[in-house]
Amino acid sequence: MSKHYESHAYLTFSLGEEKFAISVENVQEVVELEQVTKVPNAPDYMLGIINLRGRVLPLLDTRMKLGLQRTEITKKSRIMILDLTTEEDKSLQVGALVDIAKEVIELTADDIQEAPDFENYKTHAPITGVVNNRGDITMIMDIARIFSTADIVQLNTLN
Amino acid sequence: MDINQKRFIEDALDLLNELDEGLLQLEANPHASAPLEQVFRTMHTIKGGANMFGFENIGSLAHQLETLYDYVRQGKMQVSDGLISITLHAFDKVRDLLKEKDATRINNSDALKEHLQVAMEFLKAAEATGDLADLSGTTVSKDELATFFLRVSPSVALTEDGNHPLIFILQDIAILGNCRVLVHKHPSGEVALWEVIIATTTSQAELESYFMFVENECAVEYIRLAPGDLFEDAAFTEYLDALQGQPVALEQLQPILDRRQTTYTAPLEEEGEGDAAAGRKRVASDSFIKVSKRKVDDLLNWISELIILQAQLSNTALSLQHPALTNVTEQLEMITGRLRDTSLEIGLVPVETLVTKFKRLVRDLSRQLGKKVNFLSEGAETEMDKDVIELMADPMIHIIRNAIDHGIETPEVRKAAGKSEHGAVKLKAFNSSAYVNIVISDDGKGICKENVLKKAQEKGLVAADANLTDDEIYDLIFHPGLSTASQISDVSGRGVGMDVVKQKIVELRGSVSVKSQPGHGTVIHIKLPLSRSIIEGLLVNVAETRYVVPMNVVERIDRIPYAELCRDNKVNKTVVVNEEPLFVLSLREQFHAGLPPPRTTDIISVQVNGARKGIAVDKIEGKMQTVMKPLGDVYKHQDFISGSTILGNGNLALVLDPARLFSMSVNTITV
Repeated sequence: MSKHYESHAYLTFSLGEEKFAISVENVQEVVELEQVTKVPNAPDYMLGIINLRGRVLPLLDTRMKLGLQRTEITKKSRIMILDLTTEEDKSLQVGALVDIAKEVIELTADDIQEAPDFENYKTHAPITGVVNNRGDITMIMDIARIFSTADIVQLNTLN
Repeated sequence: MDINQKRFIEDALDLLNELDEGLLQLEANPHASAPLEQVFRTMHTIKGGANMFGFENIGSLAHQLETLYDYVRQGKMQVSDGLISITLHAFDKVRDLLKEKDATRINNSDALKEHLQVAMEFLKAAEATGDLADLSGTTVSKDELATFFLRVSPSVALTEDGNHPLIFILQDIAILGNCRVLVHKHPSGEVALWEVIIATTTSQAELESYFMFVENECAVEYIRLAPGDLFEDAAFTEYLDALQGQPVALEQLQPILDRRQTTYTAPLEEEGEGDAAAGRKRVASDSFIKVSKRKVDDLLNWISELIILQAQLSNTALSLQHPALTNVTEQLEMITGRLRDTSLEIGLVPVETLVTKFKRLVRDLSRQLGKKVNFLSEGAETEMDKDVIELMADPMIHIIRNAIDHGIETPEVRKAAGKSEHGAVKLKAFNSSAYVNIVISDDGKGICKENVLKKAQEKGLVAADANLTDDEIYDLIFHPGLSTASQISDVSGRGVGMDVVKQKIVELRGSVSVKSQPGHGTVIHIKLPLSRSIIEGLLVNVAETRYVVPMNVVERIDRIPYAELCRDNKVNKTVVVNEEPLFVLSLREQFHAGLPPPRTTDIISVQVNGARKGIAVDKIEGKMQTVMKPLGDVYKHQDFISGSTILGNGNLALVLDPARLFSMSVNTITV
């Protein structure tokens, strides 16, 4: 198999009108939003904790984390359960709230173009590439960088 | 540091504890051979491992000390205080060294020089005083000569000329006696099996110890073929020569072995006739395995998920009323129950793991202070959560220190008081319901109530005219900044300590109480939850959020009208509860401000850092015992929440840490 055709699976989701994709390697599953228990004195984007079949996971608002407005809860709101690795090499699971979780797509290296310099997103959203399907833009996101614990802890202290 | 070195260090730390235990036993019974053999063997194993994994400094120190104990073994030297002390101190240094993160720092040749010097001088001094005069005189009683057959099958890919530790181990073994090693290889050239036949005086236990550090990389089968040196038997060597690369077949050897068994007469045949046959089935297997904490945690997580799924299944079966399904569900329920019980036990270790440490402490400290103290332990097999034991080690050491420093009197004083010269410090552990009890007692002079009270009044901790019960007075010793030692010693008595002890225990959601009788001693009773993850508490509701207040700090509960709690426009911020003013923290005000308040509020009076404070909640829903789950690093700044717990309906409740809750509220108020 030549390198060009080697494809990777990505999960697409949307925040408002924009479409994003993350590598499925980081996604354990997608669940519907149920009861959230708010933890007092935490930053706004830390929505609280959820019970995922007996495991207690923190739930984070992906939009607020990217500097957008708070996610409005609709019937389509979904939680992506993410498997992340912290700087200390510990595994960390978090739930990330998104507007709509769409589908899993296969992308080859040829499909992905280099990311243009988004002025607003440069610091907030680590976009590693862009897929342009006849004007329909999907941004490839490095989810591990958005939800890195160092970052969460830092914001937490600022708060 | 490579993986083998790391494993060696881990094992060596265990061995050092065994060694400490052995040395203390030997000191108590200088003529007993079992502890002596254990000390010698443990040192030997440490030496072997250290040399193999590149810690030559540790190896040579162990070698030097081993030499001393070999003389003891041969009856040429006496077990003395000095000998035990230099050994303990030397291996203390080794233990400190092994805690370094860097291999080159461990193998720093200067680090152990001093101890090596001491050991050498000890030997010289013993020689000079003539203790070792008859070195070559008496005959050395050696272990019995026997021929062993070892099947070593490596589970990792390695070649005969590689530099895997296993190769060196086999070379070390080969020089222990008359030996022949047969190598069997895979077609790819890797070693499939070594067959080692060795006639040696080394015992099987000692042979086994050689493989200790590679037990994950190979399986070793030990078979004691026959007494004496089988290579003397021509039929046997002929058989080996005729093998031509075929593995040894024991059935074919049996006639030779049987003949040997009957004809050979050893001077001292300890083992019975059938031993060779019985030994054949013996495969090297350990009753303990080391497992990483993460794997155990993962297992427990999966099991709790299983339990929740199983509960859902039971509900479904109940509504469907299908006999076959009901049957399976009931069995599953039983099995999951057992699985949960067993898995909770995995994380438990006996209190015994701390006892050696305490024995050392008592030994060193009593010498230093010129006191005579015996340490007794009871119920050391009682099991506790490993994390709890590790966190409790320092507080318990502090209590024992205090007992020896302040409690136990000097031998002269004891004698004058009509007591035995030897004081006793006793550790007793036992289970009661969901708690582990640890009682540390001494038979010293006890705590002087009047002194404690006087000091507390001097420092303004209690009012001069306060009328306190005995228990309340004794409880003052846990107050920050109160130490009754009239003279500050370097052992204890800096005034920090007992308050930290109490704080640690409370953090683990346990409790501690003191009883004392002047002239007869002090008893400190610590009660800890069996597991850090199981919590008993009050489930409360605040603005539709559920919180859990740990039961161990709760003193009383009162219901008052909400209006009384509102002190916004008043100078006096305390609330009068049970006719006493109480500083009350309202969870609603603190975390859920702006919502319409309820009509009444429940005040939970809790004991925090020696003071009584109140937590106001909307409503207490009941008492509960449940499993606590940590919130993880993401919420580490919200440390006034120690975790969460899943309620019957699947919703979550937040477990409060009262001490941190109040320290946080103090901070926010001052800001």
